[in-house]
Amino acid sequence: MITLEAYLILSGIIFSVGLAGVITSRSVLKVLLSLELLLAASNLSFVAFSKFNGDYTGQLVVFFIILVAAAEVAIGLAIIVLMYRQLSTIQSDELRTMKW
Amino acid sequence: MYTVIKWNLISLEALMAVILIALTVTDIALPKKIKRDWIGDFSIISLSGLIVFWLTQSALNGVTFSNMFVMDSLAWFFKGFFLLAMVFIFAMTRECFKSLGERRNEFYLLLWLALIGMCFIASSADFLLLFISIEILTISLYVMTAYLKSDRLSIEAGMKYLILGALSSGFLIYGISFLYGTTHSTHFDVIQRYCQTHALSAMTLFAMVLIFSSVGFKIAALPFSLWVADVYQGAPTPVTALLSVGSKAAGFLILIRLFFGIFGAWHFEWRLALAILSAITMTYGNLVALFQTNIKRLLGYSSISHAGYLLMGAAAGGALGASGINFYLLGYLFTNLAAFLVIVIFSITTKSDEIEDYDGLSQRSGLLACTMLFALVSLAGMPPLAGFFGKFILLMAVIKSGYIWLAFIAAMNIVISLYYYLLIAKRIYVDSPRNPSLIAVPICMQLLLVFAIFGIVIIGIFQGPFLDAAMNAVKGMYLSHLQ
Repeated sequence: MITLEAYLILSGIIFSVGLAGVITSRSVLKVLLSLELLLAASNLSFVAFSKFNGDYTGQLVVFFIILVAAAEVAIGLAIIVLMYRQLSTIQSDELRTMKW
Repeated sequence: MYTVIKWNLISLEALMAVILIALTVTDIALPKKIKRDWIGDFSIISLSGLIVFWLTQSALNGVTFSNMFVMDSLAWFFKGFFLLAMVFIFAMTRECFKSLGERRNEFYLLLWLALIGMCFIASSADFLLLFISIEILTISLYVMTAYLKSDRLSIEAGMKYLILGALSSGFLIYGISFLYGTTHSTHFDVIQRYCQTHALSAMTLFAMVLIFSSVGFKIAALPFSLWVADVYQGAPTPVTALLSVGSKAAGFLILIRLFFGIFGAWHFEWRLALAILSAITMTYGNLVALFQTNIKRLLGYSSISHAGYLLMGAAAGGALGASGINFYLLGYLFTNLAAFLVIVIFSITTKSDEIEDYDGLSQRSGLLACTMLFALVSLAGMPPLAGFFGKFILLMAVIKSGYIWLAFIAAMNIVISLYYYLLIAKRIYVDSPRNPSLIAVPICMQLLLVFAIFGIVIIGIFQGPFLDAAMNAVKGMYLSHLQ
């Protein structure tokens, strides 16, 4: 029997990996991937809570999160394409035209 | 279980959705040869119609869609706020994007989508609906920020906004998942009952911090405001205006709903943290704004400092604090949109957003200079304009709640901000222009500029009815937790 804590620890690990990826990656594609991990972590904890609390709202929420994640990726990839056309690179440290 | 859906509560959003779908279908289905310029004019006219319709909804009250959708006085107040702001922003878009040709029409559809998102934020009574409507608003803002495909700054701003925005929605939904885990529900009413009967636990505190960080991103409070300056500078000006007024107001609306409503029972745990955050945010915004050379970037930092002032209301708590936030936002709408109208018209002719190019604006266009002066003076908070009275109420609320030190810091900040606001006013009125050519202002823009000045002055002088409206919005709030 896997306990609720085990699921939450796993989701916490996924969340931290995602957060670390967003902060440290220099490629914008990797950042986008890490952002997906953040949402995946929430999915896992929603499903785990739903299972152990015994109601279905959490599992329903997951479908909406997947939908939002898909929309975010669609927009994100489109902006990355635009960025590649303009700057010919997808390294995030090239985004430095504006600085005070 | 069968419940009757009260469609009249959701009629405003339903109408907007019908308009959006109709416009989208027309835009796709119409042959290429037929011009689509009317979409902008049609949008502004239907917005005016919706404002009239909104006025008839003032007495609506109730929840529907199994307690997910609420229509109360607070939602009503903010829907009117968003509609009014959108009238300005559609008009700005119409002028600003003339050079884009047919691509301008898709932008209107995104604006409609953002408006629907904001109205649903105002009406959500469930964390699931709240999350979805925040995403509707934010995702349409990502697209709009990166809309100028050939402009390097716009792409850069869009990328930065997307990364930090998606990060903040990741925080939000992770926080909601923990709140759901402890309270066994995403409904606001169930969560409020839980908060009233339980003490703050580590897990709920963690959830609240995550949710607040996402709200902080929207309102541009300090640790989460890294995006503000770059995005404000790089985004097309109508989008900057929407970010600074619409998105910020939506953030404060969520703040009022959550922290004056459902988490209200835990008020004392978060008050001091909000007060400290408010002090840091306003000081940072004002100090960095002193060194800016780009007007949109300057207004970005000024927007951070205004988030700090507004957070004073949240720190003060009580009906006075919440209604102070509402009233301040109302004045801020006219003030900030007046400034952005001037920036839009100025940049169409001069293609510049640099502050030094504003030298001698009074000799190039009297109306633009006069509007900018009113906006700057009101942002700085001088009597008798809207900005002064808003700050006055917030300071009063803070002093009443015992945070004298916060009121003192705010007063210091107001003095600092006077310096950089009045420096621009000096450039506009005293310095001589480098390029003395006149700036033409289209007639509909003249009307809007006069309307904005009118709003700034009227809210400043006859505060009574507006203050009542702000107060009523808070008093009739769903799940209110005010004394």
